[in-house]
Amino acid sequence: MRARSVLAGAAVGWMAARWWLAGRRRDELEAACADLRLEQADLVNSARMATLGSMVAGIAHELDTPLGALHSDHDTLRRALERLQDILSDERVDESELDEVRRIVRAVDGVHESSELAIDRMVGLVESLRTFGRPDGSERDVVDLHRALDDTLALLDHRLGEAVEVERDYGDLPEVECFPAQLNQVFMNLLLNASQAIEGAGTIRIRTRSRGERVRVEVSDDGHGIREAHLERIFEPGFTTRGARMGMGLGLLIARQVVDRHGGEIEVESEVGEGSSFAVELPTRLPREGTEWRH
Amino acid sequence: MSERDRESQGAGGTVYLVDDEEMVVTSLESYLQLETRHRVRTFVSPERALEAVEEDEPDVMVADFMMPGMDGIELLKAVRGRRPAASRILLTGYADKENAIRAINEADIYQYVEKPWENERLELIIHNAVERARLIRDLDARMEQLEEAHGELADLRRRLVETFL
Repeated sequence: MRARSVLAGAAVGWMAARWWLAGRRRDELEAACADLRLEQADLVNSARMATLGSMVAGIAHELDTPLGALHSDHDTLRRALERLQDILSDERVDESELDEVRRIVRAVDGVHESSELAIDRMVGLVESLRTFGRPDGSERDVVDLHRALDDTLALLDHRLGEAVEVERDYGDLPEVECFPAQLNQVFMNLLLNASQAIEGAGTIRIRTRSRGERVRVEVSDDGHGIREAHLERIFEPGFTTRGARMGMGLGLLIARQVVDRHGGEIEVESEVGEGSSFAVELPTRLPREGTEWRH
Repeated sequence: MSERDRESQGAGGTVYLVDDEEMVVTSLESYLQLETRHRVRTFVSPERALEAVEEDEPDVMVADFMMPGMDGIELLKAVRGRRPAASRILLTGYADKENAIRAINEADIYQYVEKPWENERLELIIHNAVERARLIRDLDARMEQLEEAHGELADLRRRLVETFL
């Protein structure tokens, strides 16, 4: 009897120790998991900033055209003003001078038109930058995905050049609850990949469709395509066919993680020599647990 | 530039401005309208500009390099084939030596102007380009006259020889 209770006591003690140990290991694992989540969020964020950084030259170039127009407009306006002041410095304005005034007004009218175009362009560009560069990408919002796509395209305009044509086949989409800055990063990565797949001239097609409670965004190119052996590996970390450069080889991994987080799916189809097509399907509402980073 | 300076410049030439960015052609047009007597035509499509060249000979064509469909060098090359006397100016945002060389070799351009342009400098370049086009056309006309006179002389000589020998 006594031997039995001793045995039972030992068993209980052993189980308690196991239980305690398991608890400790679970705590450790949870802490490690939380660390990982943080690191992952950092990684996405720094990849986003790296993309933006690599585009700075292009964005500066995008600003060159409207700035050049404004620079010229400002000079023309100053000259027009000088002329008008000249004419008005006399006691009276005669008929021949009236013709000159009309000419000046025509020029000022043109200046006004071109300045307006230039300012609109610059405002649009800054707006795109703002959406793309939200500091931590953790703000959720309900957005128009077409707007997000257009903003991303505006930043890529220079990269795409004149040889790459962008075809927008936009369907009727409901607004989507998402983390806009992160989704922009997904679109940016897909569009950058598409543009890099095209050598010389080509077309990038963006197709959006609504499917019940989900929306689908497809980015296709008619570039060189992806080999079948590579197709399975493109979502793996560090996989790139473009040589090892900082921040490279993470684009699609990040895209998949962001899409996962939104409770969506990303898939790819490709044929060598024909082109590739990436499809992102997202629910219109974020899943409840979607606010956390999950594996 | 004073009124008298502008008068001494003559009636001005026909200047084509071609850039797919409307803000650029409008901006330049406004400046030229204010400061010069050139007749300015603007185009945002290089194909349209080329069509217009058939009907209406420009003295100068200023073309942007980066345009969809047809780049500035291709356009200027085509203009050279159709209107060899017209002066060709390439406007470009890229300080790109390779393209500059290509433009000079392939389209035999008169000037290469980088964006952002300086209005007054571009005005001077366009002014000289108009003069150049006129001189070339004048020269062509004189050459033709000379050839005609030469033909007449040769004819006269042949008849003289026939008469006296």
